[in-house]
Amino acid sequence: MFLAAAKYGYLNAKVRSLRSRKLTEEDHHFLLAAKDLPACLSYLATTSYSSCLPEFEQEIPELRVLERQLARPLLTHYAKVIRSLRGAKERAVILALFRRFEAENLKILLRALFANLNRETLSHLLYPIAHISTLQWETLWACTSVDKCIKHLPPDIFGRPLQNALPQFEAQGRLFPLEMALDFSCFHLLWQAIYALGKGFNRTVTKNLLALYIDIFNILWVIRLKIEYQLPPEEIVNYTIPEGNMISLACLNRLARAQDITEFIHLLPHSFRKELSVINDWGNIDRCLEVYFLQSLSRIFSGQPFHIGIAMAYLLEKEIELSNLITLLQAKAHNFTIEKSRARLSWQLTENTYVPTS
Amino acid sequence: MFRPVKLTRVTIQTPEDHISEVMAIMGDLRLMHLIRVEDTPLGHMGYIAHVNTELLGRYDALLIRFNKLLEALQVSSHPPVIHQTPRPDKVIFRLEEECATIEKKSIETLEQKQNLQNILGEHQALIARLRLLEPLEIDIDRLFALRYTTFQTGLIPEENFQRLQTSLDGIQHSLIPINNKEGRIVLLAMALKEDEAILLRALKSAFWDPLELNTELQGTVTSILEKIGAEEQEAKKGLADLETTCKELALQFGEKLLFLREELLLARQLLLAQEKFGQIDHMYLLSGWLPKALFKDLKQRIMAACAGKAIIEQVDHEEIKEVRSGILSIPILFNNPALIRPFERLTTLYGTPTYEEVEPTGFLAITFLLLFGMMFGDVGHGAVLCVLGYIIFKKMYRYIDYGIILMECGLSAIVFGILYGSIFGLEDLIPALWMHPMENINYFMAVTAAIGVAMISTGLILNLINILRQHRYKELFSASGLAGALLYWLLAALGVRYFLVGPPTAFEIAFAKVTGGILFTLMILQRPVRLLLARRNQNKKGPLLIQGMAITFLESLIDVLDELLRYFANTVSFVRIAAFALAHAGLFFAVFTLADMIQHTHGQGFFYWLTLFVGNVIIIGLEGLVVSIQTIRLEYYEFFSKFFRGGGKPFQPLFDEKGTKENSSHQTR
Repeated sequence: MFLAAAKYGYLNAKVRSLRSRKLTEEDHHFLLAAKDLPACLSYLATTSYSSCLPEFEQEIPELRVLERQLARPLLTHYAKVIRSLRGAKERAVILALFRRFEAENLKILLRALFANLNRETLSHLLYPIAHISTLQWETLWACTSVDKCIKHLPPDIFGRPLQNALPQFEAQGRLFPLEMALDFSCFHLLWQAIYALGKGFNRTVTKNLLALYIDIFNILWVIRLKIEYQLPPEEIVNYTIPEGNMISLACLNRLARAQDITEFIHLLPHSFRKELSVINDWGNIDRCLEVYFLQSLSRIFSGQPFHIGIAMAYLLEKEIELSNLITLLQAKAHNFTIEKSRARLSWQLTENTYVPTS
Repeated sequence: MFRPVKLTRVTIQTPEDHISEVMAIMGDLRLMHLIRVEDTPLGHMGYIAHVNTELLGRYDALLIRFNKLLEALQVSSHPPVIHQTPRPDKVIFRLEEECATIEKKSIETLEQKQNLQNILGEHQALIARLRLLEPLEIDIDRLFALRYTTFQTGLIPEENFQRLQTSLDGIQHSLIPINNKEGRIVLLAMALKEDEAILLRALKSAFWDPLELNTELQGTVTSILEKIGAEEQEAKKGLADLETTCKELALQFGEKLLFLREELLLARQLLLAQEKFGQIDHMYLLSGWLPKALFKDLKQRIMAACAGKAIIEQVDHEEIKEVRSGILSIPILFNNPALIRPFERLTTLYGTPTYEEVEPTGFLAITFLLLFGMMFGDVGHGAVLCVLGYIIFKKMYRYIDYGIILMECGLSAIVFGILYGSIFGLEDLIPALWMHPMENINYFMAVTAAIGVAMISTGLILNLINILRQHRYKELFSASGLAGALLYWLLAALGVRYFLVGPPTAFEIAFAKVTGGILFTLMILQRPVRLLLARRNQNKKGPLLIQGMAITFLESLIDVLDELLRYFANTVSFVRIAAFALAHAGLFFAVFTLADMIQHTHGQGFFYWLTLFVGNVIIIGLEGLVVSIQTIRLEYYEFFSKFFRGGGKPFQPLFDEKGTKENSSHQTR
């Protein structure tokens, strides 16, 4: 315990201080209650997101430009957390978590190459990750084709999986196989980093956290592929992420073949079934699962504090906060009512008070 | 040497009909620095000639054909020198005809070779695929003949195998791992024909990399491999025969192709040079700098070619107003003998001298070799450098100048090696004609200081010459001018007198004090006085000196002190020659000590000689690099800084013998 305190004391303090600046229930209330997007942004300027907004004082920026800029605090916190970690293995876990943002930027890059678009056209879609990323972005952007770009990637970071997906990209003539390969690669890197931690509390906590994340990711992914993309079950199964905790491969196979939402929920493990028992619309499942996940994350902060799970939990929490914020801003931009906006968020507020429900 | 080639400005007006001939003549002469018409009043008015883009397009297309032929026949050699410059508008026809002739004679062979290479490539790709399937001992044709079952062969990432199995749970299937390659499983996937679509979808989503098999393949993989192996050998044999034919074609046409391509590049360059010409209606106007000695020849040839319709004017630079006022600068064409010419690279690295300045390459070459030889004096090491320089000179065309410099440095090192009596560090093989550096340290340091004084004095003299040539008379009394030089020589003379004869007499000291005092005062006062005079000439009212008299004097004093201190520091800096020569000898000492230690334990066997060999290699590499750097530093910082201002414009001939090579990278627009 003492060793853990010495090793993770600073990290714990750092993360909790960063966490103290997350949006409060009061913030949720006023953001939700804002009458339009400008009003919402002017309230947002009083929160910890104000640093993303000052240059936009004169005119309201386009939402698509703003979305990536709002990620700057999250990415700054990644950098701070990485700097707070003393061990290389622990840093590798957070870096592996960060790689998902590199993967998103890579997807944009591949789309640009595929569609022959220049960097400037898509720059607003890029996460500002230059200060943490170790990839040679200038070299990658200078490539003239998808396969040349893939050749420049390190084989142990995205390179090999993308090479393996290249034949299908060429056969299908679309980027989907490459994008899937990037997603798989991110989780593979995460597992690699977690297993490298060695047996101990760190590995247990992060493993459980990641496994839960994967379970929820897989459920939502199956729904999306099934309902939105209308893919057949044999394809859906192959696009799921391995090594979930509660949802096995066989379970995913059954979920992919479910005929309707009732059967789908019935096939889920007990913990998820309980959460989703009142749901009768595909669109509400992601919000419920997000709330469930947030509850799991917050439980990590009330247990033993000296481990890397704290950092991982905070960063995932912050990511969900960002995603909710963007959803809210989009809702305001489309003039959704408060109720309609609230239905799309994992914020749960009691009327006229700031008491959280969980 | 010491002065650039005398140039004269030439202006040529020629009718449009004869422009090609004029360009060809200029190309033959090779030494005309064209002035861009855009920089002239004519250019400002918009009378700029346009390049014949249609003709240029023909040249570009032809160049691609030539390059293809050269690549296909694998011809590579030094580009030949073209002595007779072609007319761009005429030579294109001959070039196109010659290219077509060569293409006709070689196209069949080249196409056959390409086909065989493709076939060979396909065979090799098939063999690579089949080797992955080798453990599968099934007849391939039987697989294709299955009526109710479909199959696919390919690779999937290892981590996707389990998911693939699960995804196919709904159908009858069989996934047979055959092999493993770099993290991927080679798989034979089978399913009922009615479920083929499901199988394909599942494989597609598992990042399937198919191994395509030809339906004509018969037998087991091993037997197919044997058969294809035999076919591959046949193809290789056929290819080898065609390679021989290609080599014969390369021998027959290679040189001609290279020559024709050089002609093409030359003609193309001439065509592009038209961008620099002016044009008014049907008259072309070109202007440039030409060596004075070539003007008569140029005029005669152009008048003959244009049947007297051209107008050629020559103006010397002294008569050009823009040159006198400094707006237009005359380009520099170096004028050095062959052995000194490689050192021009070192001169231009520092800067390009102006037309009036003394051209310092000759001085640089002599002093460079002297200093290098002194610091690197050893017969053996010098010989090694000579050999290395020769190899570079012979084998690496691009670095020919450096090869020559290296050979000359090697020779200088040999000479000083003889003077020091040192061969690979051994000082008892030959007698020292001068001295052993390690045994005469103080003397050596004094000699190097004297060399420093000599070099700095040379720099000062050259500076005085430059001052006079460039009419910068106001600098004569500055610390970097005549006054500073005289003071330096006075102090140097005192120093030499002290070391050679003894302390100076009272009269000499008094003389030195008075003269030194006068010179020092002159140097300090020259700037404030000049400023005063300048203000009086401009009839300016108000305070006499802008910054105040005291500050101007102070600045002047500090400048003079700084300059004088620098003279001292620069002189002392030359003592490093002795230091590095001693370091060179010291390193030998270290290597021999090490070798002796090894000799005591292992005898004078392999390790002893290995130590000596490796030690010498290290000394040559390390010391060679260090000495070169120090020599360049002494040249640039201690010598050039005394007189060399630079800022000149290099002479850019229309093209020289290397011109087409340098421009071959800009082959297409």
